[in-house]
Amino acid sequence: MQLDNLNPEHMCSGHVGCPGCGAAIAMRFVLKALGDKTMMVIPACCWSIIAGSYPQSALKIPVLHTAFETGGAAASGVRAAQDIKGDTETTVVTWAGDGGTFDIGFQALSGAVERNENFIYFCYDNEAYMNTGVQRSSSTPYGAWTTTTPGQHWKKLRKKNIVEVLVAHRIPYAATASIAFPEDLMAKVEKAKSMTGSRFIHIFSSCPTGWGMPSEMSIKIARMAVQTTIFPLYEVEDGLRYTINYTPKGYLVNEYFRLQGRFKHLTEEDLDSIQEMVDEDWNLLLRKAGISLETS
Amino acid sequence: MATQQPLTNPSPLLIPCSYLTTEGNKTGSWRFLRPKYEEKTSPCSAACPAGEDIGRVEMLTAQGSFKEAWETILLENPFPGVCGRVCYHPCEQQCNRREFDEPVAIHILERFLADTASRYELKPSLQKLESKRQKIAVVGSGPSGLAAGYFLTLLGYQADVFEALPEPGGVLRWGIPLYRLPLSILNQEIAQIRELGVQIHCGKSISQELLRGGKSEYDAIFLGCGHSRSLPLKIPGEDLDGVKNGLQFLTKIRRGEVADLEGTAAVIGGGNTAVDTARSAARLGAKVILIYRRRRQDMPAFAEEVEMALEEGVELWELQAPVKIAAQDGDFVVTLRHMQVVEKNRQKRARIKPDSNKKKEIRVQHLFKAIGGEASEPWYDPPKKKRGMLRLSDCVLLHKSREPTLVYGGDLVADIKSVAHAVASGKQAAIALDILFNEGLDAVRPKLQTCLVGDGPSISLETYMSGPRSLRNHRVVRYHDLNTDYFQFAPMITQPRLLREERFQSFAEINLKIGASLAIREAERCFNCGLCNQCDNCQLFCPEIAVTRDNNPRGRHINYDYCKGCGLCVVECPRNAMILEEELLCDRS
Repeated sequence: MQLDNLNPEHMCSGHVGCPGCGAAIAMRFVLKALGDKTMMVIPACCWSIIAGSYPQSALKIPVLHTAFETGGAAASGVRAAQDIKGDTETTVVTWAGDGGTFDIGFQALSGAVERNENFIYFCYDNEAYMNTGVQRSSSTPYGAWTTTTPGQHWKKLRKKNIVEVLVAHRIPYAATASIAFPEDLMAKVEKAKSMTGSRFIHIFSSCPTGWGMPSEMSIKIARMAVQTTIFPLYEVEDGLRYTINYTPKGYLVNEYFRLQGRFKHLTEEDLDSIQEMVDEDWNLLLRKAGISLETS
Repeated sequence: MATQQPLTNPSPLLIPCSYLTTEGNKTGSWRFLRPKYEEKTSPCSAACPAGEDIGRVEMLTAQGSFKEAWETILLENPFPGVCGRVCYHPCEQQCNRREFDEPVAIHILERFLADTASRYELKPSLQKLESKRQKIAVVGSGPSGLAAGYFLTLLGYQADVFEALPEPGGVLRWGIPLYRLPLSILNQEIAQIRELGVQIHCGKSISQELLRGGKSEYDAIFLGCGHSRSLPLKIPGEDLDGVKNGLQFLTKIRRGEVADLEGTAAVIGGGNTAVDTARSAARLGAKVILIYRRRRQDMPAFAEEVEMALEEGVELWELQAPVKIAAQDGDFVVTLRHMQVVEKNRQKRARIKPDSNKKKEIRVQHLFKAIGGEASEPWYDPPKKKRGMLRLSDCVLLHKSREPTLVYGGDLVADIKSVAHAVASGKQAAIALDILFNEGLDAVRPKLQTCLVGDGPSISLETYMSGPRSLRNHRVVRYHDLNTDYFQFAPMITQPRLLREERFQSFAEINLKIGASLAIREAERCFNCGLCNQCDNCQLFCPEIAVTRDNNPRGRHINYDYCKGCGLCVVECPRNAMILEEELLCDRS
């Protein structure tokens, strides 16, 4: 794959992420693209733990660990402080999980981007509250088992489409990215870094522990999510201009679901209805991108 | 903003601040599976009778390292130019890419590398082992004899090749038509073998005495005399004046002793000699009918050659057995009996029997017999069974205490008579003799077993000489072992050829050259199954940053202090050049 490996690492070994952690891979790629002139705000999430407990840190950049609901607000403050100091060079970013983005930190995020604060908000999405023991979030997909949606009470509600929520704020840049597509991910980070105003990048980060799958399948599963259009790769500029970055080749969702323990209770009929939902979402996205269904 | 004053007395930050990295956490202790770099065997190389390291050859070609790629072939086969033309490339049959889209054009690339080396007059830098005292005579300078001489020389022995005819090459020179193998290519590769130090003595027939003489100056004799006498049809009229023998006909063409043919020519047989005879006769102006007693799919001739013969207008009559030949006004009348298939066997040729008494006659102006050959002297063949005899996959070794050791090779022992098998035979003989001289007869078989390519029977000289290839696992990588997400569909290149009409004008080579850019593009299609091509995926996706680049030949190593054994690197390796092993607790230090 031969990426630009000249980019130095800004993360070190010895972090305490689970084996095969998708969020650790996501952080590695993002920091390679951002460089060391970066300040990071991490509200409560897996990465609060992964980065190591006091007095250790796995990250070679300044990090502010903050409360769960404050990702957007704390970053706004850090940005303001940097501006006062006259430091316009440093990129201020928030690094939050899906819980701190979709649910608990949602109002702070919405407020910050409504003010068009000059920062990048990264949401690494592992589709549940993983570090507290796999509780469902509004990012948990339809059909998934979690400890709060156990047995026959698996989640029967759809995943919140967070990118579209951010797009509705008409921010300069909103994009999805996946750890299985590092070139695309790093290009998007670099693009976001070159812009000003509120930027949002939603990174699909598989979680072997919470999803009930072997650790070596992390990347494969993330790739399949893109290939099946469960998690399409696209970007939206100024809330208007859609670009789809990966055109899938028509894989069906079945295999993606069959490889994960959190979906093992689903019947063929369930999978058929999920396939319909996925197709419906994909067609909606195509329409937004101005691509007619016949030619896609 | 202008009204804002700097804080004159900032209150101290009362939050704890980390000042250590996490590198003190040796997270490697979590690991119960251990990823490891371990190169494996590509299916093409295991399918190559000569055991060429094809995966590596294509990798080097894709990198533009044409000389190194060519030398990599030369380590296992002295004839890349010849085999790049006449080999039936069983490698491509086993190519994993076949299940993805189409196989890699290994055959075309082999020829490209040989042509490039010859164009730039490259000299291979091959390492010879230190000289040994034993001398070996090689009888016959066909592909097996020359290969035996070549590999023996690489192993440090003095090899004298004896050839009865005035020029070396055997069937390569006299039996393969020029449109498949131009003379210049053969001469060049033989010259290279001579330059390495192989002595070739032409015009020297060998008598049976050489094999006996207790005072022989040779420690071993390799017999690669080939099958130069054609088998009889055993039907009335086959010895009529004017009924020709296919192989002799081809030899005469090479000597320039054949004039144009008029009228219809019939060729009886289904092997490569029959097809070569038919195509040559067509070039000389005859209308050609190829008569074979079984079906097309049963023909021992290589399918591609049959295909081209038909393309060139040769008619194939299947299930026709000649029963009688008669002369009539200078022509021949051949009586053919119609045959039918009795038993279809997927592995072997179909069994046939006469279809009642259906017969037909055909009148032709020229008639060629080409149903296969045998050794022209009975003592060329290995004896049935004897003490001290070792039957190996590609040669037969006969060890006698007071006389020179005999090795029978080439077509004398081969089931499939191809140049690649002849090379395999010469190589196996050379390695077997080396083992015999160093460690005795009993060590030959087990030691050969260690240098098999995959499950064999092909063997590797590089492995035998403990080159980098010997570190590879013998396990053959199959399609399902690969991570094909990293490969893109790309069609195979097609071999450019002379137009059908152009082929009849001369014996000019049919297959044309390809350029370097096409060759690189084709070589890039290779999955390099089981081999590391430095794609760096293992390093890229490691969540622990535990894969570190360094200066070892592999270019990187795994830092087991931090590797948690998640296995991502192994799964994301597109070519299966890594493995995941169970961690042994006692190994941990």
